[in-house]
Order: sequence, then structure tokens, then C-alpha cells
Amino acid sequence: MPVRFLKNASEIADVSMESPLPVRQQGAITTRPADTLLVATLTVDTTARDLLGSTAAELPTLDNCGQYRKLVWLAHRASNTAINYTIRARATDLAGTPLSSGWQTLASGTFAADAANPNWVRLDIPATGDGYYDQYRIEVSVASGTVVLTSKIVGVR
Amino acid sequence: MGAAVLTTLEVREAAVCQQRYYEPYFVAVLWEGRTRCDSLWRNLTGDIVPLLPIVRGATPYDRLYWTGYALGNAPVNVNMRVWARAVDLNGVPLGSSWRAIGQATIQTPPLRWFRVEIPEGHWDEYRLEVRSATPRLVYSRLIASQGYWKEWTRCLYAFSKTLRRLPM
Repeated sequence: MPVRFLKNASEIADVSMESPLPVRQQGAITTRPADTLLVATLTVDTTARDLLGSTAAELPTLDNCGQYRKLVWLAHRASNTAINYTIRARATDLAGTPLSSGWQTLASGTFAADAANPNWVRLDIPATGDGYYDQYRIEVSVASGTVVLTSKIVGVR
Repeated sequence: MGAAVLTTLEVREAAVCQQRYYEPYFVAVLWEGRTRCDSLWRNLTGDIVPLLPIVRGATPYDRLYWTGYALGNAPVNVNMRVWARAVDLNGVPLGSSWRAIGQATIQTPPLRWFRVEIPEGHWDEYRLEVRSATPRLVYSRLIASQGYWKEWTRCLYAFSKTLRRLPM
């Protein structure tokens, strides 16, 4: 039996694709915000450490990221030096405790020295598909010497 | 009691082909205006100060689209390039200079309309520059979108199999 509704003052119509039920929008249409999750400066050396300077492998760089489809890592390096990175992620339980120790490695690679872009680098985490991991650990290192790296992590819903 | 005899069932195996596509669901106009460009690299606002962006607060946007129109009858190359950078929580750039996103050249005419897609979103600030050997008016509109990458799944029922009666 079709559902009918008062389409206007004098017409009763069946609900259909061409004649859907009227709806009233509640509140304004809001944009999907992208949140700044971290801004940090680190002197990168030959020891793999996360963006906060930690070498403790179990410590996350970012927590409570489950709502974000992906993270965008935007960074400025003080010199045109190759920087190695490793991105790890894991899920937590409802109490925020990791489901287990260790991490899933999402990506590892190098921000190569680049004459066209000597200072600015960028990485999408994950590179394809969706993230929605709860915790991330982002480690960086250089082959030799040091370089100052200022990072910004943006979480995209 | 004997084993049940299975009737013949038909099943299908799906050969799945997935294609990714970008579906914007929110579009905003970030800037509109005209630029009198000349032989200098000028921001769309006309300035030649490389510190100044054309848009700020572009963090939420996945990608930007720069569309425009160049006036003038004599063929001339209009060069364009796009820069981006990130800022900290106080709005101060993380470092000096800009990240080079890309550059392009169009010859007007025959081309008068142009469209530059800027796929690197989520930078906080962008600077869009134009120049041409002959002074030229360029009308621009910069829009930005938020969206999702989706996967379009095609199921090709290419194979069909028939379960055989299992051995007793």
C-alpha cells in the first residue's frame, strides 16, 4: 500500500523517487573540518625516533585518531637532507589500550633530497584507502648528520 | 540413515574490478578576481612579495581548482605556478619559502580559458602566480572541494559453476 502525503495545499501524492517526503534541514550545513593534531619541531639524527623525540617503540606519536580517515603529514626541513621515515599504526580497545603490543607498519621510505622542493615535504597516511587507526607512531632518522624538521599533522575526517 | 543427497546448486564467482574515483560533496569559492600580469611573477592579487599567500585557512580542502580566462588577441604565453605551505597553530609558516606544487603554460589565444587542478590539498596557504611577456588581464576563480575517494565496484559474473554431488 503506497504511503501518501499532502504535497501541497490541495494535492495528496504517493511517496516516490520523483515525489519524496518533504524534509526540513536542522541547522546549517557544516564543512568537514580537518584538525591540526600535532605541530612539533625535532632535530633528526641517525637514531630512529618519533616526531616527539621518543625512542620508546611502544609510545604513540598520536592517539585518539580513530575518527580520522587519513592523516596528512606536512613538514619543513631546514636543509635539503634525505630523511627516512616509518609510519606505524594500531588499534586500541574501548579503554584506549592497544589491542596488543607492537605496530602495523603502514609505510616506510625516504623524503629524498629534492632540488625542486628542498625544504617542504608531504606524506598522506595511509597513501591510499582509509586509515581510522587509533594510534600512530611516526619515526624519522637521517643517514648521517642532523636536520631540523618541523612537522604538522592534519587529521582529515 | 543414509547421507543426504545434495541437489545440484548453481553458484557464481564474481570477477571484481574496482575503480577509484573522487566524489566531492562540498565546494567553496576561495577567491575571485582579476590580475594584471606582466613579465614578473605576480600573485593573483598582483603582488610580487613572495611571502604573501592568495588564500589562507585552506586546511580542510582536499583539492583546489583554479579556473580562469585571459584577455587579449595577440598570442602570448601565460605562465602559471602554484605554491603551498603549512602554518603552525599561531598561523606562522613552519619554515621559509614554499613548496612547489607545479606549473603550467597556456598560449592565449587559442586558449583563453584554463583550468588548473591542484591535487595536493590540506596545505594551509597557497600562492598562485602568473606572468606573461605581454601584459594581460587574467580573470581567476579559485574553488576548493572536500570529498571522498570511493571505489566503484563492477562485478562481472564471468564464470558459472555447478556444484557436483558429493561422494557418498
